[in-house]
Amino acid sequence: MTTVALQVSNLSKQFGAKVAVNNVSLTVPVGSMFGLVGPNGAGKTTMLSMATGLLRPDAGTALVNGVDIWADPSAAKSTLGVLADGVRQFDRLSGRQLVTYSGLLRGMAQQEVAERTEDLLRVMDLTNDADKLVVDYSAGMTKKIALATAMIHSPKLLVLDEPFEAVDPVSAANIRDILADYVAYGGTVIVSSHVMDLVQRMCTHVAVIDGGVLKASGTVDEVRAGSTLEERFVELVGGRGTGEGLSWLRTS
Amino acid sequence: MVAHILRLKLRLLANGFRRSPWQLVGVIVGGLYALGLVALLIVAAWFVADQGSWLTPISVLVSSVVVLGWAIIPPLLTGVDLTLEPARFVHFGIPSKKLSPGLILAGFISVPALLTVVAMLCFSVLWRLNAGAFAVALLTNLATAVMAILACQYLTIVATTLRSKRRFREISFGLLFTVLIMLGPIINLVAQAGEQAGSWIGPVTEVLSYTPFGTFGAVPGSVLEQSFASSGLVHIGLGLLYLAGLVWLLVRATSAAVIAPPPQNKAAAAKGLGFFKWLPSTPTGAVAARCLTYWFRDPRYAISVIMVPLLPVLFYFMGTQTGNFTLMFLVGPIIGVLLGFSISADISYDNTAFALHVLTGVSGRADRAGRVLAVGLISIFPILAAGILPGLLSGQSWRVVGDLGLSLAALLVGFAVSSVVSARYTYSVPLPGDNPMKTPPGNGMRVAVTQLGTFALMGLLLVPVIIPFAFGLAQHSTMLGALTLALALIYGAGLLFAGMVWGGRWFEQRQPELMQAVMLNK
Repeated sequence: MTTVALQVSNLSKQFGAKVAVNNVSLTVPVGSMFGLVGPNGAGKTTMLSMATGLLRPDAGTALVNGVDIWADPSAAKSTLGVLADGVRQFDRLSGRQLVTYSGLLRGMAQQEVAERTEDLLRVMDLTNDADKLVVDYSAGMTKKIALATAMIHSPKLLVLDEPFEAVDPVSAANIRDILADYVAYGGTVIVSSHVMDLVQRMCTHVAVIDGGVLKASGTVDEVRAGSTLEERFVELVGGRGTGEGLSWLRTS
Repeated sequence: MVAHILRLKLRLLANGFRRSPWQLVGVIVGGLYALGLVALLIVAAWFVADQGSWLTPISVLVSSVVVLGWAIIPPLLTGVDLTLEPARFVHFGIPSKKLSPGLILAGFISVPALLTVVAMLCFSVLWRLNAGAFAVALLTNLATAVMAILACQYLTIVATTLRSKRRFREISFGLLFTVLIMLGPIINLVAQAGEQAGSWIGPVTEVLSYTPFGTFGAVPGSVLEQSFASSGLVHIGLGLLYLAGLVWLLVRATSAAVIAPPPQNKAAAAKGLGFFKWLPSTPTGAVAARCLTYWFRDPRYAISVIMVPLLPVLFYFMGTQTGNFTLMFLVGPIIGVLLGFSISADISYDNTAFALHVLTGVSGRADRAGRVLAVGLISIFPILAAGILPGLLSGQSWRVVGDLGLSLAALLVGFAVSSVVSARYTYSVPLPGDNPMKTPPGNGMRVAVTQLGTFALMGLLLVPVIIPFAFGLAQHSTMLGALTLALALIYGAGLLFAGMVWGGRWFEQRQPELMQAVMLNK
């Protein structure tokens, strides 16, 4: 039994002249709620794509529950659930069909898929919209149904890229509860987010990435080192304005 | 305000040309072509100008075709430039009394609109033999052009509102495509009607001359017949009434669209699990069920198979024209290849939703097999019918076995080639939910080369089946036909299996590269 859910070593990716991810190494322990934070365009999504088999790295390895995802993808993917950011869903399917599809694609038995689909629809508060086509869902509902497709096979590791974006506060709280429960029973969650407050409250561990480089990593308390995570984040990343705003915007 | 909007529209037009030199070349070529048509119109009008009693019917008919064409084609094809769609001005808070006239006038600043005005003015040459009629025609033809463009604007706004309902969009594209395919037979029918023009043209134009389509076209003739004071004024009055009504409707519609954007589309629903319930609960079955659902719900797929029911109709009409129905025997092999080809861009069609296949780690073979199974279920009955019926109905039952063999071989080889090609050679396709007729800009060359290569490979792989088929056909031999069928089944199934294995292997090795390709839609 390995104690590391995700071991990323020396991952690098370059798009043309732009280095998106620069030699990032990261260890995510089993049973942690791991926050990945960074400004827009920092390389979070690129990093997670390479760790989950969506994007081939230029260099480096990613071990998912001890299995190299680029050497043995099908074994690695069977214990991994991913909510990818910026990809479409098969949105001409209804919500129920989409979740079912995700289960069947993984080779699960029909009975199990049917039961878990209804459970997932219920906790995501989508039962009433289960027969609607996903294309007619709101942004938040689409996030929730995508999350359901990532969880149906009860993975050991959940990688969620921006899971709370556009999700209403009630659903977000419900999802947080589910994730906390999941972690309490031995699962591991990686979430990327812009919302420092949320990460500080929710996560046990955090990594800060900026410009494709890992700036800090460890337990939340280690990283924030006494101040709030947001203050520490701004300190690490920099780039705050000088306070010279738009003087003409003051209406009075 | 009006001046601002007109200037905006001119700037947009100019920028459109500047975006790429090729677009400018396209516009110039198109413009020259259109000018050529205008010249042809002038020449034709010049030469029929001495046809006396035919002038009014011709004038009314041409006016009607112009107005009707503008009313139908651009709104349905989205051929109009929607950059100045009223709904885009929702956030600016411009009083609609100021905005509407600007938007309506801006509708006249477009290449097709200007060409229509020029063409209609030139069409006045029809009345060159009578100065008074010619002068009147210049005005009334201009009025017809205005009527056409206003009608187009109004119907575009209406259609935009309707189009946001997905069902309407899908049906209208299906209809339009059907009409395009059926254009040949329709033209034939029209040509036949033309031969008996004498009998129907009188009453029809008489009716048209009182409708918004042809009423202005009937005015110059009244000058010629010296009934301008009576019937001429009636037509002018009617025409002005129609124009005023159209302007009123248009102002109302623009104001409404400026205040409240068209409503969001209504939610569609799918009860239960649909195809997922009927197909086996394996990865292959799931992929097949998903694809089948898309075949019925995604217009991009529907467009690619709409040829299947239309091809026999088209060939049948051609048969009735020439008295030779040999083409009907080609229906089976052609739709076999077309149906086989239809899944060659399947991953491109998935777009980034393909990520689900990557993340679930579905095996390449299950993915390939599922896609083939879905289109196979759709294809099998049409292929059987197209292979068996022509021979049976024409009383040449000896050739049925061979025909069936060739059709099945075409289908199986098509599937085999597509299974490999779609895992390796993706190209840009209309995005999910986009206009299925729209070709994305850019790599047109890549699309053409890939498609041509795919078809060529299918043709090449079909040769071993075509040889016994051809001999069987020449010798009227059912034995050789049976050999064709046996060969088709064994060889075709073998190829299909090989295609799935090979395509499946490529699929598994190239998943991240496929993901990159669909993200950029290339």
